[in-house]
Amino acid sequence: MTPADLIVVGAGPAGAAAALAASEAGLQVVLLDEAFAPGGQIYRAPPQPLSVAPTARGADDAAGDALRAAVAASAVVWTGGARVWSISGAFRVDAVTAAGSESFTAPRLVAATGAHERLVPFPGWTTPGVIGLAAATILLKSQGMVPGRRTVVAGCGPLLAAVAAKIVAGGGEVAAVVDLAGPGDWLKALPRMASRPDLLRQGLGWALKLGAARVPVLFRHMVTGVSGGETCETVTVAPVDAEGRLTGGRSRMFDVDALAIGHGLVPGCEIPKLLRAAHRFAPEAGGWTPVRDAFGRCSVAGLYAVGDGAAVAGAEPARLSGCLAGLAAAQDAGRLPADVFAREAGAARAALDKALVFAGAINRLMRARPAMVEAIAAETVICRCEDVRRGEIEAAIAAGAREINQLKHFTRCGMGPCQGRMCGETAATLLARHVGSREAAGYWTGRPPLRPVPLADLLGQFDYADIPVPTPAPL
Amino acid sequence: MTALRMKDTFRRGDAVTLTVEGRCVMAHRGETLAAALLAAGMARLRHSPRDFSPRGAYCFMGVCQECVVRVDGVLRQSCQVPVEDGLVVELKGSL
Amino acid sequence: MSAPSDLAIVGGGIHGATVALFCARAGMKTVLFERGSLCREASGVNAGTLTMQMTRVALIPYALQAHAMWASAREWLGHDVGVVVCDGLSLAFTPREVELLSFRAGKRREAGAPIELISEATARAVEPGLGEGVLLAGHCKVDGYANAYLTGQAYRAALIEAGVDLREETPVSGVDREEGGFAVQTAAGPVRARRLVLAGGVWLEEMAAWLGIDLPIKVLVNQLAVTERVAPVMRTVVGIASGLLSLKQYPHGTVVIGGGWQGKGDRQRGGAELVPESLIGNMRLACHAIPALRDARLARAWAGLEAETADALPAAGPIPGIPDAYVCGSVHSGYTSGPYIARLLAQRILGQEPTDPLFPIDRLLASPAASPSPSADAGRATDEQPQHV
Repeated sequence: MTPADLIVVGAGPAGAAAALAASEAGLQVVLLDEAFAPGGQIYRAPPQPLSVAPTARGADDAAGDALRAAVAASAVVWTGGARVWSISGAFRVDAVTAAGSESFTAPRLVAATGAHERLVPFPGWTTPGVIGLAAATILLKSQGMVPGRRTVVAGCGPLLAAVAAKIVAGGGEVAAVVDLAGPGDWLKALPRMASRPDLLRQGLGWALKLGAARVPVLFRHMVTGVSGGETCETVTVAPVDAEGRLTGGRSRMFDVDALAIGHGLVPGCEIPKLLRAAHRFAPEAGGWTPVRDAFGRCSVAGLYAVGDGAAVAGAEPARLSGCLAGLAAAQDAGRLPADVFAREAGAARAALDKALVFAGAINRLMRARPAMVEAIAAETVICRCEDVRRGEIEAAIAAGAREINQLKHFTRCGMGPCQGRMCGETAATLLARHVGSREAAGYWTGRPPLRPVPLADLLGQFDYADIPVPTPAPL
Repeated sequence: MTALRMKDTFRRGDAVTLTVEGRCVMAHRGETLAAALLAAGMARLRHSPRDFSPRGAYCFMGVCQECVVRVDGVLRQSCQVPVEDGLVVELKGSL
Repeated sequence: MSAPSDLAIVGGGIHGATVALFCARAGMKTVLFERGSLCREASGVNAGTLTMQMTRVALIPYALQAHAMWASAREWLGHDVGVVVCDGLSLAFTPREVELLSFRAGKRREAGAPIELISEATARAVEPGLGEGVLLAGHCKVDGYANAYLTGQAYRAALIEAGVDLREETPVSGVDREEGGFAVQTAAGPVRARRLVLAGGVWLEEMAAWLGIDLPIKVLVNQLAVTERVAPVMRTVVGIASGLLSLKQYPHGTVVIGGGWQGKGDRQRGGAELVPESLIGNMRLACHAIPALRDARLARAWAGLEAETADALPAAGPIPGIPDAYVCGSVHSGYTSGPYIARLLAQRILGQEPTDPLFPIDRLLASPAASPSPSADAGRATDEQPQHV
């Protein structure tokens, strides 16, 4: 049992910043992550000895290296390769590491577990070769691989251009970029995107690269189906309106072996949910989000939630929100003088407010489009783990399921090993149509383990006689 | 080595050999098993338990659980497993 | 205002729902109040085990009847709860467990449970997945399990077909006695009924207090866990002599691991928190019994509340001094026995003689005037155990 002043779960920009800020203020900080190096998904380091050639290094590579160097140079106790499976009390964190199951305790906990992708199901979306946009960036940035020989890149938001441009740069072929948004939507976003000239410039660079490679860009289109058996063979796309409704316009087909697709990001706030913190539904933040004060404090004393795992906003807001929570944790622990806290937190807060302008524009482009969910066919699988179809979900709702956990009982939707992360948004959106709102539909009750964990990893070495068996029930 | 690996922009580790469904598959140290299998043309990693429909890695970040295979007999998320020389892989999930 | 119902039931778990079902089918105008959705507490989140080998001795005759009801749920309930009838084993790995098993199985056998004590070799023939080191096993052919999370869906359909006025998402804030019956207080106003059943599980204590009755109810916080779907590792219900393991693999492949290891929680918060050591202890027992489980991944763990009276026997019968008011529930291992005990109460409410004695609550009330019931006496008599157990 390792005691600390603060445990941070998740070592992306938000978690690392929280750990560093708190450590700087004198707190003993343990930083845990499933990955073997800090950086999160956005700054995920290629695993040694794989590395980006010096000539090909970009801004994110530099930012990731800086983050890792800062953690290494700090007093933060870094524990990589740690799969956190249980969080209990105030607070005890149990993680499976190379050393077996380890426990950490601290009076304060920062949840910085990042977002996962929203993907609205369509026929064939479970076909191998169909991957997330974020998955594509991981392949491209930390594995040096393109997703396929010929790829359709589809969905919404800036990852479309980023992924497509990196595929082209990596020697792959992009058959088409298929964007739910139209040119007008991007134009509308421009003024707010101009608040981050560096990112805007990066985005324009991607666009130019795609133009130079003559990659067709289909605005206001969506993927309507993938065919192929053991692997993706054909992607069909068709025009949609602003809300993602099919217009009835001409569909097109592309022969490809990969489809990288994503419809936005959803906060992965499993830890605040597990700890029964209050949540609110905030579409502008990607979905359900823990109720927080300006410094990331949740309704559960000692719990802070930061970064895209609390509200989707991107890397820089994540870093700043992490920094704020780290400072707040130090302040709450009585380790940071009020004037220092006010000065440092004030600066970070101002920077965060500025950074959120850009994030707002991006989130608008990546917003959920419920019309797409409404149009899902009855036979399309919603829950990949359990192969639960739209029709079965509708039947359960007709049979009286009024809340998402009840729907889970009726159908097994969300009961599989992804623990509802892949199907939760879609199932809740379908249910909300019948019960009036996403608030009424609710969210999955947080349960351990936070990720599936092999029983063998939990058991450790034991003798049967030493298992502390409680008193039997009366006869 | 294959069409999916970028040629100039990445420096790769030593070649390793995996045994996948009895076949030899080459990969490079530093690659995850899921990526190495994709590069080897093995997009299908398992089948879903209810419909037995083919599945492959979807998220590559440990969330979706679609890339679970048996590595040396043990169920592992292949996107979280670094390749090592001599790994024996079965393209079969939990069921 | 509409005419009063014949029967109002507060609490939509197995007990309340079963009483409602049989009374409504017998022609009573029945209204059932549930603050959430049907069978989403103990009746929906328990391990679903339908076993004699973890049932209290005094309840064995009831559990046998209830087992038969579960096995034929499609006929009398009309809907599937995923019931599988299979062999059950209770294992002893140490001399102390052998002693415990021999004593407990003997008492249960005396009470009518067809439990045989068998050798390791015989047990392995029954359950090839067993681990090493089994010294003795209790074997019962009347065992099995239901898919507890399907309970609500099945009962909901049955109650609606039976014409029950089903009011889910309807918390009851109190009950007032009035001329000719009761007024059940809801946010939408009072609902009147001539008879009342309180079937609140762990919340029965608060409900009884509405009528000035002091009925203490203990709250157990049982931890449970389930693996992802895996290839077959077992084909029976497996427990250990102490009763602190229940293990079975569902036809779709998941393995549910329980045994009453305690988590943290209370009536207000529900099963709020799991205790990692307890979870690990429970998993160790499970993997010791069925070693192939080690390769499975834990998909989810949770804690559900279980009600227990002072003597761990049911509270099922009339409320003393209040005509036409009844309680039903707080049955230890109540999922197994619940349908039968609730049906007995329905018989009583319908003016019939119950086919087995009820469990009147007089013995449980704070008032010293209360006299123990015959069935409660039967329960006490079997509490005698070897001194060191």
